[in-house]
Amino acid sequence: MINAVGYALKNMCANPGRAGHSLSQFCSVNLYRAREEINSFFNGSGAETVIFCKNCTEALNTVIKGVTGKYDEIIISDLEHNAVLRPVVKTGLFYKTFSVSPESDEETVENFKNALTDKTKLAVVTAASNVTGRILPVEKIGKICKEKGILFCVDAAQGGGVIPIDIKKMNIDFLCIAGHKGLYAPMGTGVLIANKEIKNTLTEGGNGMDSLKETQEPVFPEGFESGTVSLPNIMGLKAGTEFVRKKNRESIYKNELNLIQHIYGGLKENKNIILYTPFPEMHKYAPVLSFNVKGTHSEETAEYLSANGIAVRGGFHCSKLAHEKLGTEETGTVRISPAYFNTLFEAKYFLRVISKF
Amino acid sequence: MNNEVLTGSITYAVKAKEILNRNGFKAYMGRKKDKNKSGCGYFVSFDGDAEKAKKILEENNVKFSEIH
Repeated sequence: MINAVGYALKNMCANPGRAGHSLSQFCSVNLYRAREEINSFFNGSGAETVIFCKNCTEALNTVIKGVTGKYDEIIISDLEHNAVLRPVVKTGLFYKTFSVSPESDEETVENFKNALTDKTKLAVVTAASNVTGRILPVEKIGKICKEKGILFCVDAAQGGGVIPIDIKKMNIDFLCIAGHKGLYAPMGTGVLIANKEIKNTLTEGGNGMDSLKETQEPVFPEGFESGTVSLPNIMGLKAGTEFVRKKNRESIYKNELNLIQHIYGGLKENKNIILYTPFPEMHKYAPVLSFNVKGTHSEETAEYLSANGIAVRGGFHCSKLAHEKLGTEETGTVRISPAYFNTLFEAKYFLRVISKF
Repeated sequence: MNNEVLTGSITYAVKAKEILNRNGFKAYMGRKKDKNKSGCGYFVSFDGDAEKAKKILEENNVKFSEIH
């Protein structure tokens, strides 16, 4: 990935889709290759449905603000990130949350069904919680949305590149992805894969199309890519996605979840530790785990771990809803989220360090 | 080259060129030079049967404003 970014910085120094010279065309073709790779990885319906954003938050804002109208209702889960909650609130539209069961997908689906009304226009759900790691039954929810004509948007910031996400099989209308997590891309890379029309653009400006017009058409993909795209970062995103494909996504997921399961087991034996989820079973949980040390603020624990060379995130993880659900509004939680490069040795080291706190 | 596909989108221009090439057409792309009212856009020039090319592009969901 680093090499791909470096290559792009040296050799892709022209704005794709702006000029007609050969270097610009070279850049345009490479940008198109990146669209093809992302589209293929998530089984989308074409490279032209892949819109590059600065992050997953921008992708979510584009959908939430772009597809809803005056009398529409929105439904979201009670594990959503603020990147979903805040734009939903900003629309001023009526919204409902449905409860995600920590154990039963059937219960989650029932809760989703019960929250629907005739006015529900859009459902936005996370593929996996960034606080608890709980994987949502996206395929089942997508089927219901399709049957009822509800637009279905999936926030795959935490799940993209980690858990199985198939746009066609899961009936996903809008898939929002963060590059820097499960796809091993540089920070500041996001993607929206859009299979349904978006009526309104989030930002307008130059996009290489119809330059003499005062207005910008909401056409995919350039209609939603105002201004210059970050080509070196996108080349990094392409390389990161290829890395995940080469190493095998499922294999990476299993290795990471094994680490989380090992850590969970160790923490469970420690009477000083609070855990917030059942044992993280395969395909029910993404490799993300929240915990606390009894009577200690999460930031204090995170600081102690940092002093011992362990980087975890304390606090509230930009997720008001998830922390309200867990009852951790006062302390937050400490979140562990291993990646491909973490090892069992490091997991054991973590358990040794936390046992001494 | 005899024929041209016109599109405002660089993505569809690249897609059109690649699909035409894959289907045996010799195609290349560039910036539109005609005095159109909307401004920037792209052409994909190719030799061969324009009707056949049009059908192939439509089957592959390539959006274009004109083919001639």
